[in-house]
Amino acid sequence: MSRIKNWVVENHDLAFAILLAVCVYCYFAFTNDLFATHRTTFAVMERFAVLGLVGLALTLCIIAGEIDLSIGSNAALAAVIVVRFTDSLGAVTALLIAVAISTTIGIIQGYFIAYLRVRAIVLTVGTLMLLRGVALFAAEEKTVMLTDFRVPDFITTKMFGYFSPASILVIFMFILVGIFMNYTRFGREIYAIGGARKEALAAGVNLKRPMIIVFAISGLCAGLGGVIIGLRSGTAQALGLQYLLLAGTVAAFIGGVSILGGKGGVIGAAIGTLTVNFLNTGLVFNVTPAFMVQLYLGVLLMVVIMFQTGSRIFDENQRRRQIISDVDARRGPLLARRQTGPP
Amino acid sequence: MSNSLIANARVTGLGFVDRLVRDYSALVVCLIGLFLVVFIVGMATAPNFLTIFNFKTIIRDAALVGIMAIGLTFVTLSGNFFLLSMKETAALCIICFATSMSSGYGFEISFLLTMGVAIIAGAAQGALIGLGGNPIVVTLGAAGLLFGLGSWWSDNLVVSFRRPHGAEWLGTGSFLGLPNITIAFILIAISAECVLRYTNFGRQVYLIGANRAAGKATGHENFSMAIKVCIIASICSAFVAIAFSAQVSSAHVNYFSSEFGSSGDMTIMVIATVMVGGNSIMGGFGSTLRTSLGAIFISTVDNMMVLHGFNSGPRVLAVGLMIVFSIIVFALVRRGSRAQE
Repeated sequence: MSRIKNWVVENHDLAFAILLAVCVYCYFAFTNDLFATHRTTFAVMERFAVLGLVGLALTLCIIAGEIDLSIGSNAALAAVIVVRFTDSLGAVTALLIAVAISTTIGIIQGYFIAYLRVRAIVLTVGTLMLLRGVALFAAEEKTVMLTDFRVPDFITTKMFGYFSPASILVIFMFILVGIFMNYTRFGREIYAIGGARKEALAAGVNLKRPMIIVFAISGLCAGLGGVIIGLRSGTAQALGLQYLLLAGTVAAFIGGVSILGGKGGVIGAAIGTLTVNFLNTGLVFNVTPAFMVQLYLGVLLMVVIMFQTGSRIFDENQRRRQIISDVDARRGPLLARRQTGPP
Repeated sequence: MSNSLIANARVTGLGFVDRLVRDYSALVVCLIGLFLVVFIVGMATAPNFLTIFNFKTIIRDAALVGIMAIGLTFVTLSGNFFLLSMKETAALCIICFATSMSSGYGFEISFLLTMGVAIIAGAAQGALIGLGGNPIVVTLGAAGLLFGLGSWWSDNLVVSFRRPHGAEWLGTGSFLGLPNITIAFILIAISAECVLRYTNFGRQVYLIGANRAAGKATGHENFSMAIKVCIIASICSAFVAIAFSAQVSSAHVNYFSSEFGSSGDMTIMVIATVMVGGNSIMGGFGSTLRTSLGAIFISTVDNMMVLHGFNSGPRVLAVGLMIVFSIIVFALVRRGSRAQE
């Protein structure tokens, strides 16, 4: 019991995320009979396949103290490319091309952010527009469609009860990134440049390397997400997928990242995404229109931000009070001595 | 000691190029050069480019995005990056205005009601940003919230109101041959520039944007500033929403989204305008005049591409390239000025 208590105290963000996920799940499970079934779990995992990737990508970016706004455009570009080339080149080749292009875009973004020393939001708001233009170009301003629907059938095959090839791939990706972040030097560097960039640079971290790695993973995740969406539905729109940014950000923040960087992790991203997915699926079950889902997500994000900002202000006040009381404690004997005069 | 002496010598003896780099004027030179290039190319290749009618079209096209961008410039100058909720604020406001108009309230009451909604939305976002929330994340959440509210209010339907209405003069009227919306754009641009240059408030915007610590030390907290600039940005959004609604006599939450407009999402266009105009995204440097010129520049390029029969893909691509180009030039210029220090 005390071990659990220690764990909760040490990982209070993660504990909060788990609690929230369980609460959301229980709420929908109790209000709707259909929610706690095997089929719904499969549906949740299917959503997890896409949103999990975006949540993971944004979690990494926010850990590094940056945010990738172009993630929706990147995903849309990958979706358009894969759907366009699947018929002529085969699904695997098209998939590899699309993911390679997205990753390359990520690498270029990371390089420029580190080289120009601009904030990522500044550059990625530009690439958001640029990539949308490229996607429109690639799609010739139409909705591209598959003609052969064997690929979507394969991607949504049910395996081991709850999983499909897509969600297994995503879970594998999560494990890989988790190991990378926790047990390699490069992963620790990403935490370092997010939490304390000046100190990390002073300690000899080259800003370019972690930045390029973060944005490469972000591009890879966005590309993979776009590919999964494109292949699963068999269609792709150049201007679509813009909702991914909000949902992914909400997932990342529920998972316990801090906007100041250096906090959070892959497990948090998974739990945050699951929470968003429970909410999303549950609301769909209760026949809520799509815009209401957006409203709830917006409110959720605002609440999390308010909570974080509040706790930061509280911490700062606490620290200030501590410093003042320290100074008083040190000055106390001095003052007393001055009043009594030298012996 | 010797280092600082050298630095001082450099500051006092600035050459022309140094001064260009230091004052970020290089960007303006770039912009004017690009503008001339576009202009000459347009003149040479598109036969209808150099007509008065076309100029009016360019400025009228620039007006809506331009007004929003002028509002956003205040936010950017005060060092609060940008608001990702510009188009969603406009979406909520357009629904509010059209609903009010269609239920028979006059133009004035609808106008005031819409402005009230905008002020509340802006103040709430500004308060969260001022307390230390990241502007991007706060406004991303606010965007979802405002858009959801707008959709919920209108039930995701088109709200329309009957044609002879009190707002027609704003939407389709004209004065001395200029559309009223163009005149509004010019007036707003001039007054915003005057506010920034000649009032206490304007100087405080620059101070807090350039050096937040110095601002705090001299008693100018970002909290009240963030609220004020967010309200200004929201009011500009609301004004654009009203003007647009007056033009088409209807409203839908998607009017400002990429599905509706051909050249992309309104928020990103507005941010693009602020950036292409040559305002420092980190704050403290720029002006609304630059933003207005940026709006006209983007509109000119767009107009030329339309005259040449380009589809929306290349046009969005062109705007994207312009933003990225402006970011890169700006960053390189800043690096140059850093190296001098």
